[in-house]
Amino acid sequence: MGHVPNPRPSGDFRSTYADDNSLFPTRPAFYAMVAMVIAAIVIAPFLSEQLLFILISIGIYGIAALGLNVLVGVTGQISLGHSAFFGFGAFSSAYLSTNTGIPVLIAMPLAGLMTTAVGLIFGLPAARIKGLYLAIATLASQFILEDFFARAEWFTGGVYGSLADRPSLFGFILNTDLRYFYLVLFWTVVSYVAVSNLLRSRDGRALVAVRDHYLSAEIMGVNLTKYRVLSFGISSFFAGLGGALYAHYLEYVSVEGFTIILSISFLAMIIIGGLGSVAGSILGAAFIMVLPLVMETVASWAADIFPAMDAGKAYIKQMSIGAAIILFLIFEPEGLIHRWRLMRASWKLFPFST
Amino acid sequence: MKKLMLGTAIAAGLATAAIGADDKVFVGHLVDYTGPTSFVGKYYGPGVADAVAYINANGGIDGTMIELESIDYAYKVPEAIAAYKKWRGKDMVAMQGWGTGDTEALISFVAKDEVPVWSASYSGHLTDPTGKNPNTKKPAPYNFFYGPSYSDACRALVQWARFDAKENGTKEPKFLHTGDNHPYPNAPKEACGEYAEELGFDVLTPVVVPLKPGDFKAQCLTIKNSGADYVFIGNLGGSVISLLKSCKTVGVDTTYMGNVWAGDYLTIKAAEAQNYVFPSASPFWDSEAEGMKLVKEIAAAAGTGTDEAPTHHYVRAICGTYYMKEAMEWAKANGGITGANIKKGMYERQDWVPEGLEGVCQPSTWTSEDHRGTMTVSINKGSFVDGEVVIEKVADTTLERRDDWLGY
Repeated sequence: MGHVPNPRPSGDFRSTYADDNSLFPTRPAFYAMVAMVIAAIVIAPFLSEQLLFILISIGIYGIAALGLNVLVGVTGQISLGHSAFFGFGAFSSAYLSTNTGIPVLIAMPLAGLMTTAVGLIFGLPAARIKGLYLAIATLASQFILEDFFARAEWFTGGVYGSLADRPSLFGFILNTDLRYFYLVLFWTVVSYVAVSNLLRSRDGRALVAVRDHYLSAEIMGVNLTKYRVLSFGISSFFAGLGGALYAHYLEYVSVEGFTIILSISFLAMIIIGGLGSVAGSILGAAFIMVLPLVMETVASWAADIFPAMDAGKAYIKQMSIGAAIILFLIFEPEGLIHRWRLMRASWKLFPFST
Repeated sequence: MKKLMLGTAIAAGLATAAIGADDKVFVGHLVDYTGPTSFVGKYYGPGVADAVAYINANGGIDGTMIELESIDYAYKVPEAIAAYKKWRGKDMVAMQGWGTGDTEALISFVAKDEVPVWSASYSGHLTDPTGKNPNTKKPAPYNFFYGPSYSDACRALVQWARFDAKENGTKEPKFLHTGDNHPYPNAPKEACGEYAEELGFDVLTPVVVPLKPGDFKAQCLTIKNSGADYVFIGNLGGSVISLLKSCKTVGVDTTYMGNVWAGDYLTIKAAEAQNYVFPSASPFWDSEAEGMKLVKEIAAAAGTGTDEAPTHHYVRAICGTYYMKEAMEWAKANGGITGANIKKGMYERQDWVPEGLEGVCQPSTWTSEDHRGTMTVSINKGSFVDGEVVIEKVADTTLERRDDWLGY
């Protein structure tokens, strides 16, 4: 479809700009979204601890991955330092809530804002460099921040880490996983609506323009520097918010939790979920969280069938995770969200689909 | 009639089995078999697990079985916290912990939940239960460990070094701390440096050596240029071996004094170390001490140590587990096995040696104001000679129980 300036699939009957700009493509899509959120609220009390833990993790990492998707998927920049921003948010929120008396629920978004400020600073190189060079520059931010966490005892507690209390609302402490799940769900919904909204705004289109063809964007009057740095700021906000949620969920923050491995996991989440897709971010986070559990089960079955494999169970699990990711990238390079769209299209055209 | 009796017997049997199965307490067990401290973790971890298995096989805690779950957290603090929170949901009455980072991070958690912890971290920060000493960062009411604290062990080494320097005629000996910027090597850094200064050492700026093994020639050059006479090694395992080898290449001439985890026959063998000084709090595997009979029974029952001799870390793990066992027995007789009762049980005895471990575990006393079980440090010197590791004890130092040393 490369020859069409604005490709539209057949069956897309939108005729006004307002339609084009709607938050949800169709009414049923909106209802489906609302139904999913309500379902999550209703079902949560009946879930096991283990499932709740997985859902909370998906929510937290999904928020952070969403931030990275704005940067990488939407604006076409790259960051190998996302986990450092995630960590900065975690430490900021712990610091604010412990040392200044600001309630945790307010400290969390504040931590997001503090991380935005840091992200804007570390995003400055993006004004000048791009591609692999930018990747290495952001790698530096990972190391600088990680070292800062280990040394700034007044802020992070140094290598001993710092404690982060569970949030409370008028004396009602969110001290169970179920209560915390609702908080994470709230922020997940807010984040996803916010980013979806951003993408249909003037700024959102500018970000996409920077990604698609920066020269054309500049000629059209898009301020490249501003939008590149801005996307770092936006991405850091969500990283910081996710980090703050993570800190108060674990109730403890340690410098060890925010290594480059986590940064790469975030990249894996958005590549697997679908670059530039809002829903893809959370699908990717879910995939990365659930895959090890699935592989654990598979490895256990395999060990039951072939007892000789029992000793290597852990190894098989790790290998299968790697293999699954590689296979996924080969057979579904456009991410889970693409697979989902294909599935939906196939249901729509049901009797005639292949 | 016969049928009825048989039926009753079966029913009774089932009932006892049911009680037997129900009557158990849960203990969480953190181990590092795959992380940076696995070098010693693979001896300490099985020590705890084997001891618990042996206790269960011999009647448990007066009939109550210990349900032990070991989680390999690879020395990652967040994973340890996650494991702890998982266990909290299982009514954990006690915990066998591991590293300094995770144990210190869990201080507030275990105090709030009243879960006594026997850690393999001997950080001095865990010894002040009430926060009596103004130097204490955080009171640690539910933390216990068997053996001298890292700080006290280092102080004993420094004391020995002072004596050694006098004998060698070194006028103003220089002391240097090496170790990663990590809670474990950092734990004794300040406390030990202060005492060294008090004893008239010239205390040099500490050198950071990563906990992960690597090429440490750069650090060794710094050590060489500093002219340190006594180098304290705060790391353990592969990192120590790398450091000793790199320093040999560079030609550093000094006396190395390791932390308790940094000294065992495997480290000395791999590093081919000479005159390597390290503390201990238990006999070594080939010791003839009376209590070693029980230690060897425990190992034999689990099949541990059949191909190679376990390091003394295994023996210390058994001591730590047996103090927990006897505190649980006291708790059971005095109101039931709960975390708070087990903690009280730890204060009941003076110069306490667990039954059957005479000569293995040093007589220890814990009080509600002082969790320094023992102040006695055995100092050993190990050398690799003709393919054999020779370890000899050079001193048994008992430090003064100073108030300003409590909690750090």
